[in-house]
Amino acid sequence: MYWEKFLIKYILFICVFIYSGVTLSGPFSDFKAGAELSEELSSSPTAKRNTPNSDSLVQSIDALNPKNSSVWRELQDNLLGNDANVLFVDDIKLIMQDYIEEAHKVPLIVTLPKRLYNFKNFILIIENNPIQQAMSIRPYRLIESLGMNIRLEDDSPVRAAVQGDNGIWYVGSKMAFVASVGGCSTPACDPSVEVCETGTIGKIAIKQYEREAGAERIKLKVTHPMETGFVTDLQGEIIPEYFVKNIHVDDNKGAIADITTFAALSSDPVILLDLPKKGQSVRVHVKDSLGLEFFSYDSNTM
Amino acid sequence: MKIFNIILIFILYFNVYPSFSSNDFNLVPIKVSNNVFVFVGANEDINNKNGGAISNTGFIIGDDSILVIDAGPSYIYASNVIEIIKSFSDLPIKYLVVTHHHADHSFGISRYLEMDVEIIMAPAELKRYLKYGNRSLKQLRDLIGEEWFLDTKINSFQYKEKKYPVSLNLGNRNILIELYEKGHSDGDLIIKDKISSTLFVGDLVFSGRAPTIPHANINNWKNYIDLISKKNWNYLIPGHGNIIKNKDELLPTKNWITFIDKTAKEASISGISALEIFNEGLPDFIKEYKLAKETWYRDLPILINKYEFD
Repeated sequence: MYWEKFLIKYILFICVFIYSGVTLSGPFSDFKAGAELSEELSSSPTAKRNTPNSDSLVQSIDALNPKNSSVWRELQDNLLGNDANVLFVDDIKLIMQDYIEEAHKVPLIVTLPKRLYNFKNFILIIENNPIQQAMSIRPYRLIESLGMNIRLEDDSPVRAAVQGDNGIWYVGSKMAFVASVGGCSTPACDPSVEVCETGTIGKIAIKQYEREAGAERIKLKVTHPMETGFVTDLQGEIIPEYFVKNIHVDDNKGAIADITTFAALSSDPVILLDLPKKGQSVRVHVKDSLGLEFFSYDSNTM
Repeated sequence: MKIFNIILIFILYFNVYPSFSSNDFNLVPIKVSNNVFVFVGANEDINNKNGGAISNTGFIIGDDSILVIDAGPSYIYASNVIEIIKSFSDLPIKYLVVTHHHADHSFGISRYLEMDVEIIMAPAELKRYLKYGNRSLKQLRDLIGEEWFLDTKINSFQYKEKKYPVSLNLGNRNILIELYEKGHSDGDLIIKDKISSTLFVGDLVFSGRAPTIPHANINNWKNYIDLISKKNWNYLIPGHGNIIKNKDELLPTKNWITFIDKTAKEASISGISALEIFNEGLPDFIKEYKLAKETWYRDLPILINKYEFD
């Protein structure tokens, strides 16, 4: 029967069509993760809304192309310098989720190729954020990879600009989609509807982990609200910006890295550093935008 | 050509216009035993088609009154449940037992508060419900749409302190409620209907999907599963998934929580980040679970964080 064949073909076509729309999240990343939700909501997992599909794949490839970006040129001039020599590369890997449900706290790890372990400067740029520069690092030793938690206001290319010792800026990029906008402009915890717990400002936790062949991973966490200046309080007043400005990491052999930070890092920022050589009793000195200083050690006995 | 047309209409209906069926939970109670019923939730994540109805809701009818187990995700859901229960029996709903505070089990409470129903919930879980409820509710509204949560509110209510285990009589029907502290949540309630030997265990057991662990003490939880396994029961109603009749079916829950706990502990010792574990792909062990990926991605970072900086 003619119509039966037609029917089967038709159903197959429809199935393939729907399937492709649903599942093609695309090869635009190293890593296709699900969501990291707040602890409470994750108790009842939620499906992704507007999961990236083949359309957004095309969009993201377009968006990652700096030529198509309306803001990149100016950003590059401002942050990397007017006459900066910039190369876009794919061996700087940004490991993060494609699709983010909790845009106030987005974990990100940047792994560097060996030729850039001795980089001179590192700047993390989120193009579509009101605060576009999240942090920069001037290292005093070799660093293999770095990690941080960032805020995302909206879908955005995230770019890691790494200056090699030849002065050239190498830039690795990744597109991130957010489920709901406002990682910088809405409160992570809304006191009008919930009880917000804040930790002790300036509390510092340092963890050192051994890796293979004497290498080391340092993770540090600073308890701090990292107010962006874009969030209003219950009375509709802007909560002024208040954030960690500088994190200085050293050990008994001297400085390891000097990190400049902005409120595009999430509250209670976590910084991860992979060093090829183990540091000895790592210490941290933090300064914030109100001029307060915090030490992971007794600063009087220096 | 008739069949063709019908199928075409079906395809269009379900794929192009899913909004036709929105706010309709299609609740069908399954009979567990005489006068014991359960609405089995959708075995999927909360989405804008299932309206959050992913967990199980039970009801037990005695000679004098009715007891409901878990309020479901919203006011509308609870209203639907109550309506169906009324079609089974004219007796009053006297008790609502909320097994724990998670949104998919508790957000229907606001509907029951309009009736003369005593709500039984572990104090620690009531605290969490009141403390974090509005936050979760806001997130849920954002995620799947306001329309599912009309009239859903987080209300505090008169609460009678209980001494567990609690014995209730629904009229020739004895119910025993036990408190399991700091297992899957801070206070999970297990409800036993003695006549039918049916155990409602809330989210201490998941059937047919990966269990979620955000507020869990995994060591206690494992012990509780062993305890439940040793009890006598004919039917066990998990918080999610189908009715369980065989003790072997408790193992997947235990195996998953053991595995995720071990992975998180190892990561917190070695300093590996969740992102890096994800980058390796899903471990083979968990692939056989439904919702493995979603649950793994959500829960592992929470657990690593807990072990890492605590």
